[in-house]
Amino acid sequence: MRDLLLFTISCILLNNILLIQYLGNCPFLGTSKRMETATGMAMAVVFVLVLAGVMTWLTRKYILVPFNLVYLQTIVFILVIAALVQFVEMFLRKSIPVLYSGLGIYLPLITTNCAVLGVCLINVNEDYDFLQMLVSSFAYPVGFGLALILFAGVRERILLARVPKPLQDTAIGLITAGLLSLTFFAFKGMV
Amino acid sequence: MKEMINMVVVLTILSVTSGGSLAFLRDKTKDRIEQQQLKFVKGPAIMSVLPNVTNDPTESYFKLNAGTKQERSFFVGMVDGKQKYVAFESKGKGFGGEIGLMIGVDLETDQVVGVGITTHAETPGLGSRAKTDPAFTNQFKGKPLMETFKVKSDGGNIDALSGATITSRGVSDGVTQAGAIYKELKPQILEGLKTVKK
Amino acid sequence: MAKTIVQEFTKGLWKEIPPFRLVLGLCPTLALTKSVENGVGMGFALTFVLVCSNILIAALRKVIPPKVRIACFIIIVATFVIIVELMMQAYTYSLYEKMGIFIPLIVVNCIPLGRAEAFAYKNGIIRSILDGLGMGIGYTLSLGSLALIRETIGTGSLVGAIPFLFSYNFTNIFGEAYQPFSFMVEAPGAFVCLGLMLCVMNMLGKK
Repeated sequence: MRDLLLFTISCILLNNILLIQYLGNCPFLGTSKRMETATGMAMAVVFVLVLAGVMTWLTRKYILVPFNLVYLQTIVFILVIAALVQFVEMFLRKSIPVLYSGLGIYLPLITTNCAVLGVCLINVNEDYDFLQMLVSSFAYPVGFGLALILFAGVRERILLARVPKPLQDTAIGLITAGLLSLTFFAFKGMV
Repeated sequence: MKEMINMVVVLTILSVTSGGSLAFLRDKTKDRIEQQQLKFVKGPAIMSVLPNVTNDPTESYFKLNAGTKQERSFFVGMVDGKQKYVAFESKGKGFGGEIGLMIGVDLETDQVVGVGITTHAETPGLGSRAKTDPAFTNQFKGKPLMETFKVKSDGGNIDALSGATITSRGVSDGVTQAGAIYKELKPQILEGLKTVKK
Repeated sequence: MAKTIVQEFTKGLWKEIPPFRLVLGLCPTLALTKSVENGVGMGFALTFVLVCSNILIAALRKVIPPKVRIACFIIIVATFVIIVELMMQAYTYSLYEKMGIFIPLIVVNCIPLGRAEAFAYKNGIIRSILDGLGMGIGYTLSLGSLALIRETIGTGSLVGAIPFLFSYNFTNIFGEAYQPFSFMVEAPGAFVCLGLMLCVMNMLGKK
């Protein structure tokens, strides 16, 4: 139990998927201009990743490995994720319109979010068992959301500041992300 | 309706072509990939447990059956043309699953010359230090392989990694097992050495 | 906007050079620029995938129904990514190990999919090849130059090999006394360095 807890913390802070492992940077810069979109994206990623983690893990264990098709892993995983996202979108629109109005527009973006495919690949590459896989599929996107929301908060402030022209927009965004990454770096050695 | 059929047909043809061509390519590259994996995945582990060898152990190895169980590969390390060490794999039970070990033995003195972790599923930052912290595996060096290894809390002489007793115990068990295998197969290993080219 | 054929090629080298002008494919840009070897390796892999997928998509653009085009693009791109994965495992295994998870992630890199959607699906084969080649080389150059800065400052030396071409080994470029600025090869340095490069590109672009 203690180990799982430490593992969770390590996924959220120490190995933060965005700032330390560099995955999912496109939506990180794209959706962090406003707090509202950042929160929406963060929630959508957590939601989809838990489902995607379970699906891809089961697919690999019960289809790819028994039939000796592990080399097709990349293509199978991305198709599973794409189908899953499509399915979730339809399901939410029909049954939970409230949630859909919050997360809906971010769902199509998630298929090409490399954090999602990335975590699914980490899960199988590191040979996690079911429980570890579940924890990592939950904790990594929580770390993603944490970084995204923190970053959006900083970025809203930057809008009010006078930034030199060549540094505007993405450039200052990246430097800010660097400083944020530095703070996450300080967690190293904590566990 | 026509559009539907069109979509299904295109997608099916595309998937089948893609699957077919990949299967073909996979078949063509399979042997080469296996050899490369032996060289790059096992290679560094073998080299790290065998000090100062002058040959490439991934190219000079032989296989033996341990009892009636599965085949094991024994990698021979040579120093100046003389067969001095042998490295082989063993495993122990860790916290997150099996821990794969590579163990190097001096053929003359039967002493451990190195222990390396090849694969593991231990908790990152805790049990995973068994692999990254050389101070832990170095404890096995120079001890006779045929004795039993235990962590200190079990009455042995191996310092466990703090916060990762189960992992440390697993590694110790793995090395102890390796000792049993080595003891059992020693005559066959000496036979096998003759089949490897000098 | 009838561009000449030459322009289709050169736009990827400066005017629309990824990832600086087109902010796409950032993850490998940050993660694989610790050393020139990784950066250029990634550039090569991406160029191969991009050119091949562009050719195939341009050739099939009349056959692929618009409604399922994204699914088709994904299948095509993923197929070439697996080809790269297998080839790298067979021929440049050590590089494959270093790049690890980022090779399968080319599928979601946005550049191959983005070019397929924005260009190859609407243009002929020749133009698509040139577009893919230009973008690929532009990407390789960007990654290479970023990696050059990071590796030189961060470790004080340049060691490695460009796959299939040559290997190099310069140690202690700044002399023995240089203390490596290891911030540059860690994650925070990647963000800051890319941000500063973007700033320089913006300044040059303004003229």
